[in-house]
Amino acid sequence: MEVLNSRAALLSNYEVFTLLRELETDHLARAKTAVRIKKEEEAAGHPPRHPGSDTLFGEPSENLRTVEVEAIQYLSADYLPTQRQTPEGISQLVQDLAPYELTKAEKLQVVNLAPTMPVELYVIVEELEDRLGDRMEEILTHVQSALALSPATIGPTSSNGNERHPPAINSDSTVSTLGGELAYPEDEAYHEEFVFDDVGEGAGVEGDLDMEDD
Amino acid sequence: MFVLSILKDTVAIHPSDFGAPADQALIAELNKKYANRVLHDVGLCICVFDLSEAGEGKVRYGDGFLWYKVVFRMVVFRPFTSEVIIAKVKSSDEDGIRLSVGFFDDMYIPAAYLPQPTAFDPNERAHFWLPDSELTSTHDLLNTPLTERMYIDQGEVVRVRVEADDFFDDEPGPPKMAEGVQVQREAKRAPYNVICSIAEQGLGPVAWWNGSAQEGAEDGDAMDEG
Repeated sequence: MEVLNSRAALLSNYEVFTLLRELETDHLARAKTAVRIKKEEEAAGHPPRHPGSDTLFGEPSENLRTVEVEAIQYLSADYLPTQRQTPEGISQLVQDLAPYELTKAEKLQVVNLAPTMPVELYVIVEELEDRLGDRMEEILTHVQSALALSPATIGPTSSNGNERHPPAINSDSTVSTLGGELAYPEDEAYHEEFVFDDVGEGAGVEGDLDMEDD
Repeated sequence: MFVLSILKDTVAIHPSDFGAPADQALIAELNKKYANRVLHDVGLCICVFDLSEAGEGKVRYGDGFLWYKVVFRMVVFRPFTSEVIIAKVKSSDEDGIRLSVGFFDDMYIPAAYLPQPTAFDPNERAHFWLPDSELTSTHDLLNTPLTERMYIDQGEVVRVRVEADDFFDDEPGPPKMAEGVQVQREAKRAPYNVICSIAEQGLGPVAWWNGSAQEGAEDGDAMDEG
């Protein structure tokens, strides 16, 4: 294992929340198919399969399920605004915040915590009064309107239960809508251009992956 | 709270998974290895975000696995210093408060980062804050009337600022023997700790700061109705 960049970009809570929810619906759908296939096979008189032989379509790893369920629980708590947010609302909010010269970290926290009271904004933005003066009320209004834009009726399990969403495809669209503004754009650009050429040890040697023999 | 980390690893895919698309098999395998695990100086891994690059699967002599070199992006929990986070109080003791965000609970507020003056009430097993008080000694503070105390109870939702994070890599190492008896290792440290503070205006239990605003709103409503 090798860490190429431990902090390539910042993610908003909402992005993580949607990713985890997709993962969960995916798991649930797979679990259902697995049960169905098993039943069909039993009905057809096939011998039961060796348990654990197909990890991919059976139970996902315990660690993943634990962290997934607990993180979804935390992010959908009513003291966090994440569940009431939408991609449109967030990109609107980020646009609205542009003229206030907030740092990226501050913007990210405004999006993550959606402050509704001045005291919350004081904590997030350093030297709030010097930098913004009377304009902090405007920010609070922007936050409110961004939340109002969001329909509060997104259930914990969205309707796309049976569709398969490989994270690779979906995440790209999330990043392009949110990440460009929210995360570090320069780092994103750097990442996109980065060529991961495989010229390490063992390059060009067919079949040799310089693995330790253990 | 969350960041993307770019990692590189070599992954083995078991022949029973050859039927599945390679990218899905790789992501499942990576999630199995990394999810809910702390990487030193990186943070707590949540799940794979996407694959950046995957090489050809190769077969080594000796097993039937396909070995892939993969570069992928990982969703990692690593709040940055000075970030504001909402967490829940997990427990309290004399040294401070332990917080939890559900999937991660090695977050601490040491006593030094509590609002002053503050004291630990051993009967309630909770810290309390006395706003606008001149008292400094714990003894004096514990003699104050209960009604003036602002308790930080277990399970309360608190807004905290991240002050620092520590990584500990306690590898077991070779077994140490003393007189033929295995030495007991000292208590295990958590691999990743986040140190938080609530010693600031606006931080602490969310209810402290909501309270005044809500009362104001209710008064306003009452006046509107009247």
